[in-house]
Amino acid sequence: MKKFLALLLALVMVCSLFAGCSSGQKETTGTETTQAPEQTPDTATKAPVSAAEDVITLMVPPVSATYFEKVHEWADSFHELYPNLTINIIETSWDDHNAKLSTMSLAGEAPDIAEVSSSAIGTHVELGVGVNISDYMDAETLADYDKNALEYMSLEGKTYGLPLYLSIQSIGANLDMLTEAGVDVPKVQQNGWTFDEFVTAIGNGTKDDRYGFVFASSAVTASDMLNIFGVSAGINNAFTSDLKYAYTSKNMLTFLQAIEKITTSGYMPNYGVDASQRMVMCQTGNAMIFGKAMPLFEGNITKNNKALEANDGTAVEGSIPVNYSFLPVPVMDGVKESCYGTVDGLMVFRNNKTTDEHLANVMLALNYLCSGDVAAYVSSELYLDSVCESGRAVISKYTVEGRDENNLACASREMSLVVAPPTGLTAEMSSKAATLMELMIAPKFQALLAGEATAQEMYDAICDAAFDQFGEAGCETGSIQ
Amino acid sequence: MTNKQNNNVKRKRSWLKGDDLSGYLFIAVAMLIFIAFTAYPVFSAIKTSFFLYKPFGSEFVGLENYAETFTNSLFYKSVKNTIIYTIIVVPLSLVIAFSIAVMVMAFQKRTQSIFKAIYYLPGIASGVALSVVWLWLYDSSPSGLFNQILAFLGMPTQNWLNSSKTSMLSLIIMALASGQGSSVIIYVAALLGIDNSTFEAAELDGASFMQKIRYIVIPLVKPSTLFLFVTGIIGSFQVFMNAYMMTGGGPDNNTTMIGLLIFNNAFVYSKYGLACAQAIVLAIIIGAISFLQFKLMGVDVEY
Repeated sequence: MKKFLALLLALVMVCSLFAGCSSGQKETTGTETTQAPEQTPDTATKAPVSAAEDVITLMVPPVSATYFEKVHEWADSFHELYPNLTINIIETSWDDHNAKLSTMSLAGEAPDIAEVSSSAIGTHVELGVGVNISDYMDAETLADYDKNALEYMSLEGKTYGLPLYLSIQSIGANLDMLTEAGVDVPKVQQNGWTFDEFVTAIGNGTKDDRYGFVFASSAVTASDMLNIFGVSAGINNAFTSDLKYAYTSKNMLTFLQAIEKITTSGYMPNYGVDASQRMVMCQTGNAMIFGKAMPLFEGNITKNNKALEANDGTAVEGSIPVNYSFLPVPVMDGVKESCYGTVDGLMVFRNNKTTDEHLANVMLALNYLCSGDVAAYVSSELYLDSVCESGRAVISKYTVEGRDENNLACASREMSLVVAPPTGLTAEMSSKAATLMELMIAPKFQALLAGEATAQEMYDAICDAAFDQFGEAGCETGSIQ
Repeated sequence: MTNKQNNNVKRKRSWLKGDDLSGYLFIAVAMLIFIAFTAYPVFSAIKTSFFLYKPFGSEFVGLENYAETFTNSLFYKSVKNTIIYTIIVVPLSLVIAFSIAVMVMAFQKRTQSIFKAIYYLPGIASGVALSVVWLWLYDSSPSGLFNQILAFLGMPTQNWLNSSKTSMLSLIIMALASGQGSSVIIYVAALLGIDNSTFEAAELDGASFMQKIRYIVIPLVKPSTLFLFVTGIIGSFQVFMNAYMMTGGGPDNNTTMIGLLIFNNAFVYSKYGLACAQAIVLAIIIGAISFLQFKLMGVDVEY
């Protein structure tokens, strides 16, 4: 009896190992169970849509404050429109989204659609998991999206996803402090300003208990400063229009020397500032200008002002009422003004279960989640203009009331100054540039900000590494106008 | 059929019967787990290290990933960082854990348990939660806790995690302050295993406290020391969480450890083949060091 029990227990233990090994996925056979919606121009795909049940996986971080809440509503609406299609949503945080996406891609189990920043597309394409959506989506549907924004989602003439919003990243300020420092703020918002004017302003704005300028510079946020202030020196993208690597140009050295000057001036903190601290420093009156800033922050600051007025204990500790101004990035001598912009969109991924029939369904979901009311709602919540015609047509329904007119006009102006990446970039070039930025340039920039490397040392190190990756002929060593 | 052949057949059949069968079934659980989660990944990593990995069609590249590893200056920098971290953290951890264990032994059993629980507490806390607390302690602004202490003492404030002068030190302090729990418990257990008569005899001979530590305690806890030393070095070479959460490897890659570099190559830059090659190199380094440790220190150790 004892032996029998021991055997039984051992068998149960062995079997329990395999208990969780079934796929748990419902097989998506070709059995027609529901009536497919009639084929209309809205269906967006070149391939005929099947009536078979299908599940589309979407992986997204919290794109905006209410995005998670809304994306479930949109998935339900999509299911009502196409009863045979279900969108399965995987929610991630901004911190782990990219690592999780890479891990799933490497295992061949990427979600069908995922939120991706345009700069990361090259890495996924290099891995062979990107899908050229123009093979599956008709030209009429693609024409709804702004060409400029679509360029961000494309490499080597192939489009790997649809743009959701074009984010403009610049600097923001306490309007009253900036005016007190002698700056005609509305004029700057309308016409831009020079780097010298900026340095004078932050010098005037620096007091015993206040920095004229603060920029988040801890860990990965250092690359934000590189990107945003890089345009001050004329570096709009990692590559020039003739596809040469731009961070080796003379503009880069000028830019690094300018940053070196600011860091040693005492106008900005000489210690690392976390991303979460920079706006708080402005709200508490410890900084006049802060970066990175986006138009969206007007909403956060207005909300805090209301909390201060209501005295309900939800305001940022030690904060004061602030009139927020969204500002253009200052421009250095001899450089054409532009603004740093990045497109975040939804990219289509290939996984173990991908079939042409499934991709046709994925395209329907992709277009649904990037156009019309959805695009308008997302852009509006981020205080941005929509990047598709169908979104712009309905954006008035979602416009946030009470926005500052000058900020609104400045944001529109900056958006028009964004320069799209050059055409002809290859996935390999894009991937190499992203790796170079993460592994070498951003870490060196941290050292520059900490006063542990000089501008010249950093520039030389960038040139060495870039020549190694792209060859000297593939790098711009002169000036970019 | 001869008697010998009969015996062989019986032996072959008997292993599947009775106690033997249940024995095999019991170890099957551990074996299957070992094969699925340890052996298979190791062989898979070795295989992948020879490929330019892509989920839908990898390309065989021979030793290219190894060549890239050994020509990459960041790999050597990460090895150097890891060695510096290990050389400081492992011996100091042993000294701290041993000292705490000796001090704890002076108390009664109940009080000992309280201290052991207190020192083990960081071990059961989430590494991420611990890192968040340490990030707050290392806040580089003048209002940061450590900076306030420095200012109170009249010393200049520090850019803890953002300066190459202090970032590694910050990670080392964090490791020393929050990673002693299990070592203390192992040392306390080893100390409890020393027969009291040994101390009584030493006291009769007039041995001082330090003499007892030097001539009785240290030699008798040597197996535990060797165990903690070997596992400490293995763990230290695999350190990842602290650098990932606290500094991200910066500034200027001064806190990029091998573990973090492998993680970044695999899951940030999607260079899975290269990451596997670096992981294999790391395994060889750890294996070689462990072998040397047992060779040099384990000669007179009996378990």
